[in-house]
Amino acid sequence: MASDDEINILVIVLDVNPIWWGQQAQREPQFTLSTCLDSLMVLANAHLVLSRTNKLAVIANLYQKSHFLYPSKRWKSGDDIPASSDGKYELLSVINDLFADEIRNLMDRTEVSGSQTDSLLAVSLAKALCYIHRVSKDVQAGQDVKSRILVIKAAEDSTLQYMNFMNVIFAAQKKNILIDACVLDADSGLLQQACDITGGLYLRIPQKIALTQYLLWVFLPDAEQRSQLLLPPPVHVDYRAACFCHRNLIEIGYVCSVCLSIFCNFSPICTTCETAFKMPLPQMAKTKKKKVKTAN
Amino acid sequence: MADLRAAVTHGVRYDCFGFSSLGAPVMASLSEEVLLVVKRVRQRKQDGTLYLMAERIAWGPEGKDRFTVSHLYADIRCQKISPDGKAKIQLQLVLHTGESTTFHFANESTALKDRDATKELLQQLLPKFKKKANKELEEKNRMLQEDPVLFQLYKDLVVSQVISAEEFWANRLSLNSVEHSLSNNNKQDVGISAAFLADIRPQTDGCNGLRYNLTSDIIESIFRTYPTVKQKYAENVPHSMTEKEFWTRFFQSHYFHRDRINTGQQDIFSECAKQDEKGLKSMVTQGVKNPMVDLLSLEDKTLDEGYGTATAPTTSNPSNKSLRENSNSAIIKRFNHHSAMVLAAGLRKTDAPNDQASETSSTDGNSRDSDFFQPPVKKVKLQEAIEYDDLQGDSGRRTIALNLKKSDRYSHGPIPLQSQHYSSSQDIINSISIIQHEMRNYKPRLTQVMSSSAASSAITALSPGGLLMQSGGQQTINQLVPTDVQSELKHLYTAVGELLRHFWSCFPVNTPFLEEKVVKMKSNLERFQLTKLRPFQEKIQRQYLSTNLTGHLEEMLQAAYNKFQAWQTRRMMRKT
Repeated sequence: MASDDEINILVIVLDVNPIWWGQQAQREPQFTLSTCLDSLMVLANAHLVLSRTNKLAVIANLYQKSHFLYPSKRWKSGDDIPASSDGKYELLSVINDLFADEIRNLMDRTEVSGSQTDSLLAVSLAKALCYIHRVSKDVQAGQDVKSRILVIKAAEDSTLQYMNFMNVIFAAQKKNILIDACVLDADSGLLQQACDITGGLYLRIPQKIALTQYLLWVFLPDAEQRSQLLLPPPVHVDYRAACFCHRNLIEIGYVCSVCLSIFCNFSPICTTCETAFKMPLPQMAKTKKKKVKTAN
Repeated sequence: MADLRAAVTHGVRYDCFGFSSLGAPVMASLSEEVLLVVKRVRQRKQDGTLYLMAERIAWGPEGKDRFTVSHLYADIRCQKISPDGKAKIQLQLVLHTGESTTFHFANESTALKDRDATKELLQQLLPKFKKKANKELEEKNRMLQEDPVLFQLYKDLVVSQVISAEEFWANRLSLNSVEHSLSNNNKQDVGISAAFLADIRPQTDGCNGLRYNLTSDIIESIFRTYPTVKQKYAENVPHSMTEKEFWTRFFQSHYFHRDRINTGQQDIFSECAKQDEKGLKSMVTQGVKNPMVDLLSLEDKTLDEGYGTATAPTTSNPSNKSLRENSNSAIIKRFNHHSAMVLAAGLRKTDAPNDQASETSSTDGNSRDSDFFQPPVKKVKLQEAIEYDDLQGDSGRRTIALNLKKSDRYSHGPIPLQSQHYSSSQDIINSISIIQHEMRNYKPRLTQVMSSSAASSAITALSPGGLLMQSGGQQTINQLVPTDVQSELKHLYTAVGELLRHFWSCFPVNTPFLEEKVVKMKSNLERFQLTKLRPFQEKIQRQYLSTNLTGHLEEMLQAAYNKFQAWQTRRMMRKT
């Protein structure tokens, strides 16, 4: 059948940084981690129901690790599936139960750490790319694999992951994997760049309690269907680089040709690699020597 | 008028019979030599006589003394004749300007002869008068046809009188004549089609004869491939036989036909056949020098009965072979020989001017192979075949390590500092405990995930015109502006670019010629602005296009005017 030829993989990367969510629970009691998880489950179910060949993976990323919520190691595909009580599609009920189980265990095992409190987004993205790569290898000949990653972002960016993050983004671009971003709190420049480079959608949600609606409307359709729909236009991305000395955003600067570090002012020695540069002196304008007729 | 000039230079007096309004020339003066006179030639349904002179062709109506039609040979681009078999026998002259004149030969008995005689004479005379200046015109035409951008530029600037044609061609022609001469030197030789002999398809003549249509291309191919035939041709034509006879005998000879078994007849081509056999034998003995190719292992191999042909062991006794086998092997030999000659001819042409000395064998190009596969090349080839580059160890390239003092700068990269959200340790502990508490009792409640009011407000925000869709209305300029306006803008840009290039190339103004040119270019720019730019601006204003399409053009023109102004004031000051 024609529909068997295309496999759509959706990998959801969920930010479950407990610190942020804990504070969020204090700020807005109606939208907490449970609500968010429910919305995600709705999206996941919808994605799986759209087509028999759709595949799903959910990764939770914390500050110490990133963990696959589904497919999890505990469940083998040959396991007995209990008959569902409410007549739901068995796959969905299994997934939901697993999902809930895993997140509970994950949260139980969380340790308090004061030092590193940033979510490891680059790690989760890298895991997502590896998963997609593995699944793409397992398909039969003649089947097309289209994959995308949806990142639900809660806490702020961690700037220490910049290099890894950029590598992940370029790898995704090479493999034609879209990275979509659904941002709950503060705008993230890195994710904006990721979405721009890979061709995905970046959306900052104005109302968190309507998260389900936004997910279903904007992020459920895949890349081909998006061209037929009227979706929020792409955000203007600020690609300006920041200089290495002051961390200010600059438009025109100086780049060391040896180590490629960016500076806003010229200095004869690059502070990163200690290369000395010779600056060409400006040419003095040659004054025309007028022949002075001496009255000799 | 040409007559007048010719007569004046020759100092011969002649009588004027009056000029028509077109200034048609009068009767030929005595100094003009008449090469051919053809009576009963009609032109535009009028009977008359055609005169071919030394420098022109002319026609006058019957009974009159004037020429109504006169064309210099230099003006005639080509002549055309009506095909054989048509009732009307006509000759048409096409001039360089595109006009054409038709002459109808109406003499019952000699019309065809007359027409052919005229045609022959013209064929000899026309090439002499091909003017060099027309070549330039043709060159210009060709350039304009090949490059549509150039053509458009020409139309915009010269046809609308913004700049003169000489200025337009001033820079361009010099470039192209250099390129043209270069390309002529490096012209590639056309190769020989392997099927050229097969292309000479004979046509039956109606009465048991065959007609072979030989073009000069085919003749050239034959000469290049079979140099012995060329030799024979040089020996025999035109001493002992005409070209036509030569080719007739060529095609009749068994040399040409397939079977070539009975070559004992008295034939000038029997020698060619013998030489070909010698050449073939020498090729076989030379063999192929490439050590990678083993021709001898190519045989008809049989797998089993019914698969492939069973080859009987070839006996050395030629008389045992059946007649059919003989002819088969003869055909195969001929094919091999033909292919080898075609390839050799291709190689020979390029190598001939370079190394005359190393031409060891004249009949085949396989001697080249022995040059190619000298020992070092052979060794390299063998090595290539056995070794894989990427399985070797590292080539150990010497590199200089990058010495970084502050490498932690790369970990965050060119990202601006972000204000870190500070959480006290108490906050952290609190948050974590809240979450853990919440998750312990987590049960998915999918049916109550969202209220309908929240959903509808989200939908409103996502609909066109909603909160999130604000900037979606922005369209790019190329969607707003119609395509004809876009293309006109592009033409304007090309034209302005050309004019500005002329203008700016005048600076610094050193010579009086450049001074004149600068002033002229400034007036050209102003004229361009007036005649082309203003109407365009008005047009787009009428179309209510609010985008500012011509702002940049105006800026460029203004910069040019400012520079001119500055230059002029400086010149004034220098004079005073």
